[in-house]
Amino acid sequence: MATPQVSADLVWEVVRSQNSFLVKRKSSGGVQFSRDPLNLINKHSRKYAGFVNDKAIGVVPAEKGAVKVLSKKVEASQKPAKSITETTYSGGKSARKSVLPIVSHTSHIRRSCCQERLPCRPPRGCRRSRSAIRHSYKETKPTPEPKLRGSKAKKAAE
Amino acid sequence: MASRPTVTIIGKDGTPSGATHPIPAVFASPIRPDIVQQVHTGMAKNKRQPYSVSEKAGHQTSAESWGTGRAVARIPRVSGGGTHRAGQAAFGNMCRSGRMFAPTKIWRKWHVKINQGQKRFATASALAASAVAPLLLARGHQISSVPEVPLVVDSAAFEGGAAAKTANAFAILSAVGASADVIKAKKSKKLRAGKGKMRGRRHRQRRGPLVIYDPEVDGTELVKGTRNLPGVETCSVYALNLLQLAPGGHLGRFIVWTSAAFKALDSIYGTTTTPSELKKDFLLPSNVVAQADLSRLINSSEIQSVLRAPKGGAVTKRSGIQKNPLRNKQVMLRFNPYHSTFVKKQLGEQKKEEPKPPKTAETFLSVLKQD
Repeated sequence: MATPQVSADLVWEVVRSQNSFLVKRKSSGGVQFSRDPLNLINKHSRKYAGFVNDKAIGVVPAEKGAVKVLSKKVEASQKPAKSITETTYSGGKSARKSVLPIVSHTSHIRRSCCQERLPCRPPRGCRRSRSAIRHSYKETKPTPEPKLRGSKAKKAAE
Repeated sequence: MASRPTVTIIGKDGTPSGATHPIPAVFASPIRPDIVQQVHTGMAKNKRQPYSVSEKAGHQTSAESWGTGRAVARIPRVSGGGTHRAGQAAFGNMCRSGRMFAPTKIWRKWHVKINQGQKRFATASALAASAVAPLLLARGHQISSVPEVPLVVDSAAFEGGAAAKTANAFAILSAVGASADVIKAKKSKKLRAGKGKMRGRRHRQRRGPLVIYDPEVDGTELVKGTRNLPGVETCSVYALNLLQLAPGGHLGRFIVWTSAAFKALDSIYGTTTTPSELKKDFLLPSNVVAQADLSRLINSSEIQSVLRAPKGGAVTKRSGIQKNPLRNKQVMLRFNPYHSTFVKKQLGEQKKEEPKPPKTAETFLSVLKQD
């Protein structure tokens, strides 16, 4: 942040009611999701609001089944072009193998956070979003054509 | 105060020009969305054109009530005959072609007076918010290729009408990484839903970057150069407008400053202690707290030194949680000390020993089976 008067806590209070990433739906008791790429579980919450926090990790899909891990640089908070580091992990591996390097990557970041005694994010969400991305790559089975019943079935049989 | 934070001045080609400028004090003003929203709602009302329905609408008939006794409602009815209109109810807001309820008047209170101090506070607050990258992201600006926030472009790039042509102006904006936001605004143009389409508000589109210039140094050619770029707005640094700085009352407009305009902010707003040169009796609002980072406050040595040590051990004892005796053996033993013997001797698995039932008497059977 530019000045100590502006902190992530303050920014969160400003943006929690409305921001461009927020998705509000009236279903399921008014769910609130986030479209922020730096949000690990896509939930609108203070903890996972990556664009607000000084430190954040994101896992987003890349080409050919690969996965990009985004991480925010603290020292470049005022320099949007330099503030996000991207690391790509190639796809086409088993689920366990593809999650491992991401977890080690993120836990490294986590360790460095702990050394500086700063709040850090668990890699828990990383695993989750990685597997969610894998699932999204899978081709969905086409829904089978509905079986005809009753009079329509009789007509088709003729 | 330690060294004031500075901002790099970006050259025409998008690379740092080498020059820097300390960030003006206005960027340290408190960020107050409540004040900005209130001032914004007031200011947004001040460009309204009065409207109303015609004074005569619904009253251009000589209807009179028929009174009681005619088995119809006592509403005024159009007199005469020979037409369908005769005998129809009139005037009431529930009547067909009657007057509306509470007809709108041109003397409605259209405009709102806002205190000058509040307006200045809101402007300072909106300017401070424009230097916070997360707030720009929250407004939806595309700033991923912007080298620095606040984005200050060297006035040399605009010198001598260099941005007088739209192509040139766009080239400067894309060199400094602001083109993504312009393209976003351009692509966002959509037809408005509802009646607004026929009332001069046909399209709706996102706002792009706001270019703030100093007319004395940069000239005004860039206004013409950028006015055909969708979403891009221009504003003189001496006449900043909250409606542009915080559209919709939402903080964090993406602003492209010319270096002359950025430097002028020092004299326009002054600091929290030295009054502004241009605004009479104006001191910048100061922050109530010097440090807004809650975790840093909590973890500071000043706070930590006066806190008592946490009570209890490393493991918190959960009181009030009832454990299931059927699953937890220790809890079961507390309830039923006999349980251990019961389990050890496997009493629950033993069958009850009963002597064999006595044989039925021979005479009984013979009597039973007698034909």
